[in-house]
Amino acid sequence: MMKTSLKSATRTGMIFGLVFIFLTLIGFIVVGANMFGGLFVKSAENQNSVRVDAVNLLVFISLFGLLSGVVFQKRQPDAKWMHVVLGGLFTGLVIGLIAGGAVFLIGILHVKGIDLRNYLPNLGPDTIKFALFHSTPLSAAQTYLIFFIIFSLAGALLIKVISLGDGLKSVFDQVKARAAEQVDSQQLRDLMKNKFFLVGVGLLVAVLLYFLPLMWGSYWNYIMGTVAIYILLGLGLNIIVGYSGQLVLGYVAFFATGAYTFALLTAPYPHAIGLNPWLAALLSVVVSVLTGLLIGLPILNLRGDYLAIVTLGFGEIVRILVRSDLMTPFTNGPNGITNVGQPSWLGDVFSDVNYMHFLMLIVLLGLFVAKRLKDSRTGRAWIAIREDQTVAQATGVNTFQYKILALLIGAAFAGLSGALFASRNQFIGPEDFTLMVSINVLCIVIVGGMGSLPGVVAGAFVLKGLPELLRELSDYRLLAFGALLVVMMIVRPNGLLPDRTTWFSRPVPGKDQKNYDEVNQ
Amino acid sequence: MIHDLKTRKLSPELIVRIVVGVILSIYLGWRIYLSIFGDQAYGPDTWLRFLITGLVIGGIYALIAIGYTLVYGILFMINFAHGEVMMLGAFVGFFVLEAFAALPTPTEGNPELTFLNAYPVIALILVFIAGAAISALMGYALEKIAYRPLRNAPRLIPLISAIGASIFLQNAAQLLFGPQRRQYLNPDLLARGSGWMIQVGEKSVMLTYTGVFSFVLSILLMVGLFFLVKKTRLGKSMRAVAENKHAAALMGIDVNAVISKTFIISGLLAGSAGVMWGIHNGLFNHYVGFLPGIKAFTAAVLGGIGNIPGAMMGGMLLGLFESLGPALLGIDFQLKDVIAFTVLILVLVFRPSGLLGEALSEEKV
Repeated sequence: MMKTSLKSATRTGMIFGLVFIFLTLIGFIVVGANMFGGLFVKSAENQNSVRVDAVNLLVFISLFGLLSGVVFQKRQPDAKWMHVVLGGLFTGLVIGLIAGGAVFLIGILHVKGIDLRNYLPNLGPDTIKFALFHSTPLSAAQTYLIFFIIFSLAGALLIKVISLGDGLKSVFDQVKARAAEQVDSQQLRDLMKNKFFLVGVGLLVAVLLYFLPLMWGSYWNYIMGTVAIYILLGLGLNIIVGYSGQLVLGYVAFFATGAYTFALLTAPYPHAIGLNPWLAALLSVVVSVLTGLLIGLPILNLRGDYLAIVTLGFGEIVRILVRSDLMTPFTNGPNGITNVGQPSWLGDVFSDVNYMHFLMLIVLLGLFVAKRLKDSRTGRAWIAIREDQTVAQATGVNTFQYKILALLIGAAFAGLSGALFASRNQFIGPEDFTLMVSINVLCIVIVGGMGSLPGVVAGAFVLKGLPELLRELSDYRLLAFGALLVVMMIVRPNGLLPDRTTWFSRPVPGKDQKNYDEVNQ
Repeated sequence: MIHDLKTRKLSPELIVRIVVGVILSIYLGWRIYLSIFGDQAYGPDTWLRFLITGLVIGGIYALIAIGYTLVYGILFMINFAHGEVMMLGAFVGFFVLEAFAALPTPTEGNPELTFLNAYPVIALILVFIAGAAISALMGYALEKIAYRPLRNAPRLIPLISAIGASIFLQNAAQLLFGPQRRQYLNPDLLARGSGWMIQVGEKSVMLTYTGVFSFVLSILLMVGLFFLVKKTRLGKSMRAVAENKHAAALMGIDVNAVISKTFIISGLLAGSAGVMWGIHNGLFNHYVGFLPGIKAFTAAVLGGIGNIPGAMMGGMLLGLFESLGPALLGIDFQLKDVIAFTVLILVLVFRPSGLLGEALSEEKV
């Protein structure tokens, strides 16, 4: 027992120590410390920046140590007190030695005047001084060691205390059960069916949605506009990936087609067609759908991984073609298209507030369409294909037809969002349509929960809105993105707001007879 | 299965495919005929140069493609982060070479000599060992952290995890080492831009030392891998696990250990490919793994995924397509990436089992 406890402590300590070194080397400790430190320590009026730095870093180290202790203790919940104390101490010791050693080494190199920035660009003198608390390497390393030991011990003890007996845990479970009961209660259900209540809530939301863009200024209109466009993209990809289970990694191809169709039809250069924006938007949807047909027909019989890679290839082909010399006379190549047409209503060009209202309307419409599609016979066919294609085929679902249909509807959504994107930004270029767009949208669908509509909205807000709130962390956004995807797949593969109407919740006779009859024809 | 039975007969879909295929082949043949015998835009020396480039790049693709094929053969998943493993190899090789170049090893004749040029062969061996070892470690860690917990999940899940790992590694490298392009420091023995001259007609073509070195090394590594898989106990257990995990476990094979070793081997090959890429091409940055990774996957599919000789052949062929293709088809060289993707799509549409692959069962496709 003792041995396993120490082994586990060493492992946890090593992992956390290495992660800490990594965070130091990517320069995250400065940003992270100032963020976390700022949460706990309100900076004084006449702040001494050296002291503020040190306090912030200490807060960061303490939190990190606490987390390591918690993780260590979570791994062996029913260890004895002795083991908890020793293990916590040991975890802290290992992290402290690794992290402190690394900081000491960096500090010594810094003192000797060896500049590592050519290889590790984040290790500038400011960062190093920050990591050393503006003191000598040795005393900094000691501080690291002491703080890590104290706080990982504290973290381990904290969890041990919380899990003592079944006191807190059972209380927590009871609260959870009570809350679930409340949510599930008959009263609430009746309320949800009450038409007046629903209309009231709807009106409230509508008023809110109407006034928000008026109040929060053009910057937030821009951000929320981006979120709205990504919700629309997410809804489209959700139909392809979430409903029908086809992993498409080249969704950006349709987005790009829509955007370029719109831009080329309305911009003064390179073609000067000057079509009415409303008509152009319609045409860009049509062109995107045709692209979907062209791409989908030959490849939709492929499955899973192959489909993913082939569609990824298509996405890249579209981008490379758009920016190539071959297509430059047609698409203006890498320079992109400027002065894209804007929609207007009764002769007035949309202001940013109008545009935001317009986007909200479109998103609501998109949500409505997606919801109705999901509950339709088509939606059930898609879900059947997603769950088991062979069985779906055997029960008489024309799998190929339905898969193509999903792709085309998804492409239509992407084409519309492309047109909106182009007309709102006024400028598009080939670099707006990289693989990252496809992956962003895929992440929205997956983080939200595959097949779940609230999930798409939540995912778009989390992945597109949140990074704007945490602007100082923007350098680390993609890194966090990748890590989030991996962790999400391991911990919560169903997403934040999972789709509850899975295949198992089939209609019950009597309760919803019509659906039941339809399914059992 | 159901689908196969349907296509056996002359379904309309098959007829459409055949017609499209025939039209496409005729058109391509015509373009190739034109570019070779028609306007003769390129002399024989240029063709030879393209051929050499294609073989060298093809060797690198083949090494990466083997990694995809090995993993796919066992886990039926695309190790999307494999290109990033190669990128890591390139970075490690770069750092080790820089360290050797900074290490003074003065001799009597030349006091300014560095270790890199004093013992170039030892330095190169150490560089490859370091690059391959760190990449192998990365492959091992990747499997352990991102894939092993998802062993029994639906197949979409590990793929998404792999995409996440790929994004993470790419950005980690960018944040750690900076976004700038870096230049490999080769020993003078393998200086870039020097090589043997071959006379072709009146012009001469350079056979670069780095190119020959990369090609020979990749062939050696491939031969080594082939023997490993065919002749050793580990190779035997790898093949057994690829055939049937449960049966292999019943025969006393530690499936998890074999999977880990497979990732280590593919990491070794990818790391060597990364170092080779750096030594041959010189410039690299954190994006270096992305396109070669996808193209190597294409190569693996081209040869028949899960099939090791197929991956080698596919890599070589893809390298050749890419370097000869634009000239043969008379299109812009900017579009060479399009050729790789088009090849992938054509292979998957017309021969999904690849050139050397057997028809896979539904479970494996």
